[in-house]
Amino acid sequence: MTIAPASTVDTPAAAPAVTALPTSRRRFWRGVWQALRRRPSRLFGALVVVAFVVLAVIGPWLYPARLPHDPDAIYAPMSLKHPLSTDFEGVDVLALVVTGTRSVLLCAFVAGLVTVVLGTAVGLFSGYRRGFADSTLMRVTDFILTIPGFPLLLVLTTVYSFGNPVQMGLVLGVIGWGALARAVRAQTLSLRERGFIEAARGLGLPTRHIVLRELLPNVAPYVAMNLLLAVTGFVYAQVGLFFLGVLPLNTNNWGVMLNFAVYQGGALLTPAALPYLLAPLGAILLLTLGIVLVVDALDEIFNPRLRES
Amino acid sequence: MTTLLRRLAGHLARGLVMIWVVTTFTFFLVQAMPGDPVSAQYELLLQQGMSPDQAEAQTAVTYGFVPTGSVWSQYTHYLWQLLHLDLGVSVKAQGVKVSDQVLSAMPWTVVLVFSGILISFLVGVTLGVVAALRRSSATGHALSLSGSLLHGVPPFAIGLILISLLASASGMQIFPSGGSVDAEYVPGFNGWYISNVAWHAILPALAYALSTYGGWLLAMKSSVVSVLGDDFLLAAELRGLSPFTRFRYLARNAILPLFTVLALSFGLMFGGSVFIERIFNYQGLGVLLFNSIGARDYSLMNGAFLLITIAVILANILADLLYTVIDPRVRRA
Repeated sequence: MTIAPASTVDTPAAAPAVTALPTSRRRFWRGVWQALRRRPSRLFGALVVVAFVVLAVIGPWLYPARLPHDPDAIYAPMSLKHPLSTDFEGVDVLALVVTGTRSVLLCAFVAGLVTVVLGTAVGLFSGYRRGFADSTLMRVTDFILTIPGFPLLLVLTTVYSFGNPVQMGLVLGVIGWGALARAVRAQTLSLRERGFIEAARGLGLPTRHIVLRELLPNVAPYVAMNLLLAVTGFVYAQVGLFFLGVLPLNTNNWGVMLNFAVYQGGALLTPAALPYLLAPLGAILLLTLGIVLVVDALDEIFNPRLRES
Repeated sequence: MTTLLRRLAGHLARGLVMIWVVTTFTFFLVQAMPGDPVSAQYELLLQQGMSPDQAEAQTAVTYGFVPTGSVWSQYTHYLWQLLHLDLGVSVKAQGVKVSDQVLSAMPWTVVLVFSGILISFLVGVTLGVVAALRRSSATGHALSLSGSLLHGVPPFAIGLILISLLASASGMQIFPSGGSVDAEYVPGFNGWYISNVAWHAILPALAYALSTYGGWLLAMKSSVVSVLGDDFLLAAELRGLSPFTRFRYLARNAILPLFTVLALSFGLMFGGSVFIERIFNYQGLGVLLFNSIGARDYSLMNGAFLLITIAVILANILADLLYTVIDPRVRRA
């Protein structure tokens, strides 16, 4: 009686981890497709995210390296030639948004990579090892979580001018892994008491195998969801730093557009300049919406219990 | 009661350690600053004809530590000053104490943050219950989606949208476009002054409220959903208790996990205060930090950053104590 329920509960969870058969993979993708199709809004979200990624890759190649200025068309009304109007120099706003996507997403990608590596490693280690290492690491994590991140970034700009997307991604990732580490640790703590981990330990499998082949695949969904949510945070921090103007404004970034629009372009004073302010804001909102909808779909794929509720 | 005190003592000890780490960090940050602003000021004063002793004393007053001597002696001197709540003197506005500046900016930020949290808490929790009870309907989906979206949207985006649509020449000019209070009102405890302050605080507080509303709604929804499956509610229904009583049981149990959200949103809001106050030109701590960085006023920057950190730590302790008071399980454990 005590053995039977445990084995039936644990087999499905362990199966995709241990044996990555083609059939199970196909079943996984069918599940993804069903979750997307169940609500069209999720399909829309996935499309938005894919579109932004494509724009980030090819966007800067669609336009000349220096966007054409047009002194006769400063804050030109929206037209077919300038679908989102123009800025204070007569540069097409749509072109600015499209070419700015790369630096925003590149920074978020680098920050996400650092966060995943650090957060997952710390979370898995302290959740599986427990004891002294765990409590020390969690003290550090709590510390990182408590320090107000944005003021810290502002203070850091005085010694290190991390305007380049990769540098900024590294900085954001290094101070942003706390939440992921906590989530992974909580998940690991509950997983390590489950039957399949106990079985692996009983079989005398090496720790490396247990952590990488048994635990990691099972925490991966949580990592993916937390990562996507963290990405919205990274976009926010990055665009915000440029918006405040504490970093060199010589890159093309949505935050730089916001800064120019509010503090130099007078978007709050002249209605004609409003599209210049609202276009990058709209891009941020659209990206956030896409990510949120994808997370919603992932949530359902990985937590089937939510499906009928 | 004793457990409460013991928890409080533990939190305070941990908070003090954090404050110590943060002050150490800012001390060495100023040391690592390109061009070494401390010695730069010392040299400047020497050039202006001060004697080395005077210049040293003046620099010590500004930064809270002497520019000469070993790093260790500078550091201990700095900590000793901090123990006496002496944050030094502003570099740019000579003679103005940093502690005076940050303490006069503090109430504006705290009042704004707390009123924003109060509004978003009331609305978010109420709608979170609705979203949980009607989670299969279109209303429920729409509410959850609004929560997730607002949860992800950065505070400065909300602030910019609010100000450009409701308080600027580009949109509708309904609310004042910035500042904490109009200059013609004399500060004091009179109706005109207070109503003017409140009138100026509406949009920034709304921006704070909108940016945390999503967190409350989502947390409350998932909490209510998990409590709904509990046996004690089924038992209450079988005993024939009234829907109102059952709702009270439900709400009391579901609201507990929200105190972790409370701690998180304090951090988020004090961090976001830099944006909101900059956008609405509000004279709080965030704007003080921003301005000090723009002016390279390092002693003011240290002071503002330290005070924001202390505010977040205290808010976290408060959230945890509330949790202890409300949840009997924590008290007995």
